[in-house]
Amino acid sequence: MSKRPARSTDSAAPARPGRREFFVRSSMLAAGGFLSIGVPGLLRSTDAEAAMGTPAFTPSIWFTITPDGRTTMHIVKAEMGQHIGTGLAQVIADELEVNWDDVRLDSPLESVDNFAIYGLAYTVNSGSVTTEFDRISRAGAAGRIALIEAGSGLLGARASDCHAANSHVIHPASGRSISYGEILQKVRIDRKFSYPDDFRKIPVKPRSAYKIIGKSIPALDIPAKTCGQAKYGIDMFLPNMLYGALVIPRSRYGSKVLSVDDSEARKIPGFVKAVTINDAMGKCTGWVVALAEKFPAAMKAASALKVSYDPGPYGSLSTSDMMEEFSELVKNVDAGANWVLEGDVDQALAEADKVLEMEYTTDSVVHATMEPLNATVQYANDEWHVYVGTQSTSFARMTLSAYLSKVLNKKPEDLKIFVHQYLVGGGFGGKQDYDEILAAAYCVHESGRPVKLIQTRESNFATSFPRTPTLHRLKAAVKDGELVGMNHDLACGWMGPRFYVGKKYGTDWLQLDSWDKKKVDIDQWSIGGSDHWYDIPNHRVRAWDSDRTTWAIQASALRTVSNSYNMFVVESFMDEVAHSLGRDPVDFRLDILNGKGGNRGIPNTGYSPGTGSDYYMDHLWISLPWGKDGTWIPYESATVGGALRLANCLRVAAGKAGWGKRMAPNTGMGVAVSSAEERQSPTWVAGVAEVEVDPGSGQVRVKRLTIAMDMGTAVNPGNIKAQIQGSALWGTSQFLHEKLTTRNGSFEQHNFDTYRTIRLHEVPEINVELIESGHHPSGVGEPASTVAAPAIANAIFNAVGVRVRSMPMRPEDILAGMRKT
Amino acid sequence: MAELTINGQSYFTDSPPDTPLLWVIREDLRLTGTKYGCGVGLCGSCTVHINGEAVRSCRMPLGDVSGDALITTIEGLHPANAHPVQKAWIEHQVPQCGYCQSGQIMQAAAFLARNPTPSHEQIVDAMNGNLCRCATYGRIPDAVARAAELMKEDSSNV
Repeated sequence: MSKRPARSTDSAAPARPGRREFFVRSSMLAAGGFLSIGVPGLLRSTDAEAAMGTPAFTPSIWFTITPDGRTTMHIVKAEMGQHIGTGLAQVIADELEVNWDDVRLDSPLESVDNFAIYGLAYTVNSGSVTTEFDRISRAGAAGRIALIEAGSGLLGARASDCHAANSHVIHPASGRSISYGEILQKVRIDRKFSYPDDFRKIPVKPRSAYKIIGKSIPALDIPAKTCGQAKYGIDMFLPNMLYGALVIPRSRYGSKVLSVDDSEARKIPGFVKAVTINDAMGKCTGWVVALAEKFPAAMKAASALKVSYDPGPYGSLSTSDMMEEFSELVKNVDAGANWVLEGDVDQALAEADKVLEMEYTTDSVVHATMEPLNATVQYANDEWHVYVGTQSTSFARMTLSAYLSKVLNKKPEDLKIFVHQYLVGGGFGGKQDYDEILAAAYCVHESGRPVKLIQTRESNFATSFPRTPTLHRLKAAVKDGELVGMNHDLACGWMGPRFYVGKKYGTDWLQLDSWDKKKVDIDQWSIGGSDHWYDIPNHRVRAWDSDRTTWAIQASALRTVSNSYNMFVVESFMDEVAHSLGRDPVDFRLDILNGKGGNRGIPNTGYSPGTGSDYYMDHLWISLPWGKDGTWIPYESATVGGALRLANCLRVAAGKAGWGKRMAPNTGMGVAVSSAEERQSPTWVAGVAEVEVDPGSGQVRVKRLTIAMDMGTAVNPGNIKAQIQGSALWGTSQFLHEKLTTRNGSFEQHNFDTYRTIRLHEVPEINVELIESGHHPSGVGEPASTVAAPAIANAIFNAVGVRVRSMPMRPEDILAGMRKT
Repeated sequence: MAELTINGQSYFTDSPPDTPLLWVIREDLRLTGTKYGCGVGLCGSCTVHINGEAVRSCRMPLGDVSGDALITTIEGLHPANAHPVQKAWIEHQVPQCGYCQSGQIMQAAAFLARNPTPSHEQIVDAMNGNLCRCATYGRIPDAVARAAELMKEDSSNV
């Protein structure tokens, strides 16, 4: 490890010293140890450091201050539009009292050794600020404390008489000060904090003392994105590299290559060879890659290759077959797995005055990131190097390791794999599969040269990892004018079994008493969101898995995962119930967002560290407010306040939108609330949509969206607004247009002509209200996307009396409905 | 085989004449600010200027680029990367992932060169062909309008 400094964004910056030993002592994420704040030379010298003369000050894995005063924040999270580096750096810089102009960012290299230091590099679940905030605050504060101690000595003053500000230690009594850079030039700092005892006692600022947190500081990654200097994975070049273009396989998944005829391809200048990718891990099935000296030649060759296939087990499956299967599945009531089980729904339905029963469906949608998937791979000096913009360099490395160990018949520990992170040109959950990396690596193995594999837009669509289509049957039991029972049956493809490669997560992870513990194989990521925050005494969610749907389409995570369909369905249905009761949809919701029982949220019980490697898993993946061993993780549960915070958002959104005002004919307002992403990691959000429906065509124009979000603490309000604006439009796009269909095992849409997304002329006015309740920060990159669709659907109902029960909407359905009413 | 003038610099390429200009710019000449998005002129990520006109370089075969054409990519839009559109884009914090933004900026710059005082509707119409999956759309019309203001200020300062 010591010979591999992390990639720096500034080539002039000195190489970072190794910190293996430092990490061993500071392994706060493993068993207890020390957070060592000291000159790395005392821990482990490196050649780079020795050559440098003056040692760098590296208080932690989170940042490095060099003697020139520059502070480089090491950002393990992927930069994919959320400006996460800026946000995390703001948190550290505030406690560290560093001048913002001194701040730089870099992305650590992913390797076996660095994994042991930095932990899992995985950017998902809108969780980066939530999971990092507490410990990077304390790490920044620890750095400040050590610098004040060292700087005060140089000033001839007591540390307790000094403070830090603006990258300086200041002694107010004498008016003297010394910069962080000067301190590091003059003295060696050796300061240890025990973990967790000292670490947890490091004071962090009260909100009133924040200087950088809470400011809309311009994102550090933006200037390079306005002048063509930003580097994405697709912008990588290596000497002597070949280009790879994929032949669109016969089936999305499971086809087998029987033969490849390259006689026509060989006539194309620059064509090198066709490579049938080894599908040893059940990935890249049916993949043939054309290798050429240049990419246009590779594309031409891919078109010229004549490949014959066995279409595989899913080669005749179409979307209509999946929907039919879903309909059959939900008939077998006993086979459904209970995801939520509170009270006795069957009894409530039997004793109801009125039962409302509705069916909802949603289609597949896909990420279609503007940067198509790509990977550049190199093998040199017995090392594999991957250059890519990915949501997880860690899983990229692990997946490639597993693949190459099979393909090359080697032990994983004998493979040296390094993943270099680049900017991600759009993620949305779509850059956490690694097929391009595996295929490029196999092409390297077959060609003996570095390979840059670029998915064309067409092959990218054809081999994408979309959201599953879904079928929902809902029943509401109404008695004495109240909603007393709700049943939600949901059939779809479950992404979990595919995504986590054979590992199924069961309900024992969730530790909630109302969950049916007998059914251990429920995929949270495909059902979540149906476990809403309304107080309904009898509530059941049952789920069925269509395994062949999962595998045929390679069902996967897409921005808010299952919330994106479940919030549409739940919030539309709640609106139907409200209307059937003759209640105002806002008042109706407020009444049952009362924070009673399990919907009160988990109160803050204070700090206690998680332990062991599960710590990462728990709070990164599902943000549980407890470690698996029952210890509390060091920050307040995002659920604190529960449904009452959601009700507050609803009041704000309704008020700001002018809910209840008189509307013109064919216009209407609709409302929705959401607690994405998971029940354990909610961000409270409410939305009001204002629409106009064209009575001649059924076309819907979204005129205005009002979004109110309580994210606890807003680290960078300007950027949070950008995330809310973008995600609200993401949800709007899904509702209005987006639809990916499967026919005979292949997706039918291959480019932006057939796969429609929202364009500028359809963009409504968006008003955003941030509610800073002062709680621990929760994620902002996704939740607003889940309120847009139901709010628009409910607005359509209020405008023209037509209920939209499938997503995306179809103008012809609305028109037909208008003719009926 | 062709000589190209890009950002005031002459280049030679031996790519065949049916090669889309995009790939020559990006992969041969390594001016990677110009992005591949769809390959068929549907998304605008590859937008460059040819003699001041916004052109989708993925749909422009090398053979159709005349020898005296002046090509400008995002890297050459302004010598100090301070074109009014670039300044407005930073001021309004438009980019998220940023991948489509070179194309958005090149589209806006060519549009404003012809129409320095656009209406909101004209801006929307001019920018409607440029896709953004992060949906930074809410900020684009305001940023274009702001760039128009900055251009006016620049010209009044001359």
